[in-house]
Amino acid sequence: MRALCWNGVNDLRVETVADPAIVNPRDVILKVTMSTTCGSDLHFIDGYIPTMREGDVIGHEFMGEVVDVGRDVKKVKKGDRVVVPSFICCGSCWYCQHDLYSLCDNTNPKAELQEPVFGYPTAGIYGYTHAFGGYAGAHAQYVRVPHADTDCFLVPEGLKDEQVLFLSDAAPTGYMGADFCNIHPGDTVAVWGCGGVGLMAMKSAFLLGASRVIGIDRFPERLELARTRVGAETLNYAEVESVLDLLKELTGGRGPDACIDAVGMEAHGTGVEYAYDRTKQALHLHSDRGEALRQAILACRKGGTLSILGVYGVMDKFPIGAIMNKGLTVRTAQQHGQKYLPRLLEHVKKGELDPSFLATHRFNLEGAPLGYEMFKKKKDGCVRAVFLPN
Amino acid sequence: MAEKPRESQAPRSRSTPGAVPFTGPSRDWDWHDIEARKEGEGRAGTEKVGRVRRAARAFLGGALLGMGLKSRSVGGMAMAFAGGRLIVRGTRGHSLAAGLPGLRKRALTGRGAREEGVVTGGTVMERSITIQKPGHELYREWRVAENLSRVMGHFADVTRTGPDVLHWKVQGPFGRTFEWDSHVVEEQPGEFLRWESLKGAQVPNSGWVRFRPAPGDWGTVVTLRLFFSPPGGTAADAAMKLFGEVPTALAARALRRFKSLVETGEIPTTNPNPAARDGGQSSS
Ligand SMILES: [Zn+2]
Ligand SMILES: [Zn+2]
Repeated sequence: MRALCWNGVNDLRVETVADPAIVNPRDVILKVTMSTTCGSDLHFIDGYIPTMREGDVIGHEFMGEVVDVGRDVKKVKKGDRVVVPSFICCGSCWYCQHDLYSLCDNTNPKAELQEPVFGYPTAGIYGYTHAFGGYAGAHAQYVRVPHADTDCFLVPEGLKDEQVLFLSDAAPTGYMGADFCNIHPGDTVAVWGCGGVGLMAMKSAFLLGASRVIGIDRFPERLELARTRVGAETLNYAEVESVLDLLKELTGGRGPDACIDAVGMEAHGTGVEYAYDRTKQALHLHSDRGEALRQAILACRKGGTLSILGVYGVMDKFPIGAIMNKGLTVRTAQQHGQKYLPRLLEHVKKGELDPSFLATHRFNLEGAPLGYEMFKKKKDGCVRAVFLPN
Repeated sequence: MAEKPRESQAPRSRSTPGAVPFTGPSRDWDWHDIEARKEGEGRAGTEKVGRVRRAARAFLGGALLGMGLKSRSVGGMAMAFAGGRLIVRGTRGHSLAAGLPGLRKRALTGRGAREEGVVTGGTVMERSITIQKPGHELYREWRVAENLSRVMGHFADVTRTGPDVLHWKVQGPFGRTFEWDSHVVEEQPGEFLRWESLKGAQVPNSGWVRFRPAPGDWGTVVTLRLFFSPPGGTAADAAMKLFGEVPTALAARALRRFKSLVETGEIPTTNPNPAARDGGQSSS
C-alpha cells in the first residue's frame, strides 16, 4: 500500500510499504477514508521529540471502513464505517475502567522507552514515535486498529466524513479541555490557540454552558473562524500591548474563570520570553516554548482552572508560584477520547456540533507532504489539511 | 567558520535539567543524555543512596538496552549487580525492603543463596506490577505453561515436559542455546509459587512469584523474583550476554506481558508493522 512516511527532520515522503495484517485477535484492519494533520505531528517532523525511526508511517487522526476482523472482535463488523480516537486503549485495565483512556496500561509495547521520561508509560498512539508504541500511522491506505471493540466508534447514517473525522482527536481533546473547567453559568473561558483543538475547546465550552468564550491567536483567518463558526470573542495577541491587561478589562478585573492552553510546545510569542525559549529550543537545550502557558497561568482568575491541552515534553521557567499563590486548579491529559466519543457523536447528529469547517484543504495521499507543508506554515489559511488515501 | 563547533557542543551539556535533546535522524534511540546526566551525578553522600542510584541507573539502562541501545550509555551498570546483593535493597531502599514480608535479608547474601540450594552469588531480579484480577485467577493463569511461554517469549521458549516440570530454552549470543528444566519446589495455591532448575543446569537458576491483594479496587500485586547464576564472567555481565538485556528489565517486561495477557487476552506488539524500511515491513 501507499503510506506517508517520516524519513528524518522535515523529510516526509509517500512510499510503498507492506499492507497491515491482523496481528492480535482483537485487531481490525481499516481502509482509511479520511485522515488529517495534527499540530503535535510537527513536534517530530521538526525534530523536537525523539524516538522516531526512518520509514515510520505517521498520522493519528482518521476514520475508515472495516475490511478485516480479528477472531476475538465481538461488536465491530466488516463494512462498518468507524471513527477511531488517536490513543489505543484496551478497555480492561484500571485506567480504562476509570475513563482515563490515554493512560491505558496495556497498549504500549515499548513502555521501556517512555518510562524513564514520564515515570510510568502511557497508552500507545498510531504513528507517533516509538516511545508511544511505534504503531504504524493512518496516513495510509490501510491501518491496523488493536482492541477494536473499545476503540472503533460506529458513524451514524447520514453524516459526512468531514463531520466525523475530527472526532478522532481535535474534538474530544477540546471537549475534554472544556469539561476539565467545571463550567458554571456566567463563566468566561479563555482559550489560547485557535487551531483545530482550540476551536473545538471553544465550541465545547459553549456546549457545556459558558457565557463567554475568548479565543486568542495571531492569525486573522483563525480568529475569524473563532468568531463566525464558534461565536467566540477574539483577541489578536500580536496586535495588543498586553494580553493580560485586556483579559482583565474584558472580565471586570477578575480574569477568566478558566484558561485553556491549546497551543503546546510550538507556542509563538512576541516578547523577551519568546526569544529566550526559541533560542534554547534551537540549541536543543530544552524542547518546549511556553509563552502561551505562562500567559494563561497569569491571566487566570484567583481560584480558577487551568486546563492544559497543548502537548509538552519538558519546560523550564515554569511559574509554579503563580499557580500556588492563586490557588489554581490544574487539569490536564492527553485525550480520553473513548469517554467522550458517544456524546460527541450525539452532538453532531443533533446538529449542535459540526467540526467540518476545520477541513480547509484536501489532498489525495500523494499530496500529503505538500499538505503538511501548508499546514505547518499555515499557508492560504490552512487550519487542517485532510487526506483521502483511497 | 571558526566559531562553528560551539553549536554542536552546547546540546551535550550535562547540567541542563529536563533536557531531551534531539540528535538528528538515527537508527538508535535518543535518550542517551538522560542517562549521561545520571552518570554525571557521581557518588552520593551515603552508601545507601549511592546504591539506590546505581540500581535505578541499572534499571534505566536496562530499559534502554532492552530496546537495542548501545551499551556505552549504561557503563557502570555492572557495578550495581556486584555480587548480586544490591538490587533489592538498592531499588526499594534499605529499610523498606527489610520490612517487606518475603524479602528476608538472608536471601540476598551468600549464605541465603546457598539455602536456595541452587544459586551461589548469582543475579537477583525482582519487580512488582498491579493487575486488575483476583489473585487466585492470576495464579491459575500463571500455571498454564502456554501462557508462561508467551509471557517469557521475549527471552525464552518455555514448554511443559512433565507435571510441575518446565523446559526453558534461551537463545544466547553466537548461536549458542542454553536449556534447562525447572520444577516447582513450593506452592501455596493462589498466593505463591517457587521453582528451581534441576541439578546440572547450564544456567543454575530459581525464582518465585507472589500474588497479594492490592488496596481498593486495584486488584492484585504480583511480584516476580528471579535468581540467575550464568556461566562465565561476573554475574551481571554474563546475564547480559545471555539474555541481551539487564535482568531487572527482563523481569519487568515479563510482568508487563503477563498483565496485558490476563487483562486483555493479548500482548501488545508492533511485529509486524508496515514501514518504509526492512522491505516494507518492520519487526519492531
Ligand atoms: Zn492529534
Ligand atoms: Zn487499558
